[in-house]
Amino acid sequence: MDAAVSTVSDDRDLRAEVEQLLFLEARLADESRYEEWLALMTDDVRYWVPSGPADYDPDTRISFVNDNRNRLETRVRQLLTGVRYAQTPPSPMRRVISNLEIESTDDDGTITVGSNFVLYELSAQATNELRIWAGRATHRIRRVDSELRIAAKTVELVNATQALPTLAFLL
Amino acid sequence: MRPIIGTEPTGQITSELRADDLMQPGRVNGLAYTDPAVFEAELERIFTSGWVFVGHESEVPAAGDFVTRRLGLDPVIMVRDRGGDVHVMANRCSHRGVTLCQHASGNTGSFACIFHGWTYGLDGALRGVPQPGGMCSDRETLGLNRPGQVASYRGFVFANASGDAGSLDEHLGPGGIELLDWACDLSPVGELQISAGWLGQRVSSNWKMWAESDLDGYHLGRLHASLWRVVPGSQYEAAVLAGENVVTATTRDRGRGHVELEFWRGYDRQLAWLGVERGQVADYCEALIARHGSDRAEELLWQGPPHALIFPNLFLGEMNLAIIDPLAPGLTVHHHTPLLLGGVSPEFNRRVLRQSEAAMGPAGFLLPDDATAAERMQIAFGHSGGWMDLSRGMDREQVDARGDRIGHVSDEVTTRGFWRHWAELMATS
Repeated sequence: MDAAVSTVSDDRDLRAEVEQLLFLEARLADESRYEEWLALMTDDVRYWVPSGPADYDPDTRISFVNDNRNRLETRVRQLLTGVRYAQTPPSPMRRVISNLEIESTDDDGTITVGSNFVLYELSAQATNELRIWAGRATHRIRRVDSELRIAAKTVELVNATQALPTLAFLL
Repeated sequence: MRPIIGTEPTGQITSELRADDLMQPGRVNGLAYTDPAVFEAELERIFTSGWVFVGHESEVPAAGDFVTRRLGLDPVIMVRDRGGDVHVMANRCSHRGVTLCQHASGNTGSFACIFHGWTYGLDGALRGVPQPGGMCSDRETLGLNRPGQVASYRGFVFANASGDAGSLDEHLGPGGIELLDWACDLSPVGELQISAGWLGQRVSSNWKMWAESDLDGYHLGRLHASLWRVVPGSQYEAAVLAGENVVTATTRDRGRGHVELEFWRGYDRQLAWLGVERGQVADYCEALIARHGSDRAEELLWQGPPHALIFPNLFLGEMNLAIIDPLAPGLTVHHHTPLLLGGVSPEFNRRVLRQSEAAMGPAGFLLPDDATAAERMQIAFGHSGGWMDLSRGMDREQVDARGDRIGHVSDEVTTRGFWRHWAELMATS
């Protein structure tokens, strides 16, 4: 078998594996299965929702979310108390993920994956409005004990520069 | 029971509603949040005829730096000119009324209208008009419209559209001035550095619910229970959560609608407000002592920042500033930015930024729950309104030597103080 064919085949396998991870992550987030969602993240995960394009220094400019593992765990524990009123009851949600591109692979095997999403959220805690969230997610993914895990997720919302409604769920 | 505002409110709020339709002893009617005519009257009597916070001078440090804001519903630009002066002017071309700036902030050499190309200097003067031969008006009169009064104190820029609101000093009063001084005093160089940008939270509620809930010491244990369960050891445990008969924190009505939660009186240690031990910020402590002397510095290290409303739209939210932006009777944007300090280390300001992200904004650990409660209030009042009970602590509030009303941290002293001033501005005979 020639080398080029083998590479294409490996890429297809990797792409399929990455897709399965992102689809699983999306479904767990949609269904507010916070602990299972968190289990997909590495110990050094960073979860960032910038207040505009992700081209600025988050140590000097404010972000909607800028969580390390510790703060992300606190966020999840707060949701699990059952009295996080901004997510009580949890918003019914469904998101669609598409336009997936494997953008690069680092020397250590960490993959950078870009994808678009559209998310429909029913804000069931007060107004019962159907809210639409859209943007591009960039995942940094690497293998931990043979499983693909998320080491970073950056979510650039289409309307990140604007005032947003309550965002107490996981994007 | 005593009336909510000290004397029975009289006069008309709108052509349909008398003051006592909305305010009676110990209670306020929800129509004050929902009635479009009340909202229209507020835009006129509070946001047009009164002083409104616009921004902080440190947001526009260089010539050409600008931010866009609203005075009530009217869009304005705050910009620094080449001479260093900060201007507040209409974000509206004097020709046909197109907004000039589309971005929340930026830097520019001039403001040019997309429609016909009229161009304005950083001072708002009309500089360029394409095809000037046909111009019949005097261009000197066609600079960008300005509020009748603009004034600043310690870098806090306020404007009054009507021009007949009295002085900013009168509006702030000694109580408001003390609050702004206090916020600036936290900096070892006496200067704030409002440079991290603002996040907006869009909420389907009336603006006044934010003026109230930002200053409500009663709801913390209940509405925000989820946070205290997962982040134990915060300064609010001793200040608010320890129990009605245990806590020593207080509420204060400083008059003119400027109201305050004095959490710091209930703290159990210095620097609780920053969540650090003294050794972690030794340089800061030393610098503060060098500036203020030991007594005031030690007091500041205990107190931390103020938690207060500067009526009507500026919330000094501890290590945050917030602007309450009314868009419609049932639509408000609550903007916030971290209260970064001049003269401190990058690590210090980074801590403030991270704390601000944790607490505030649409994804914060606190404010989303307030938004949910506010939206459910707006829904609950429907078309017919209904009475809210705001009497909590009326029988135990005290008046101190300078006339401030003071109560238990859970008492609705702040809410009543807000409504008292609201009624003074809104009720016309």
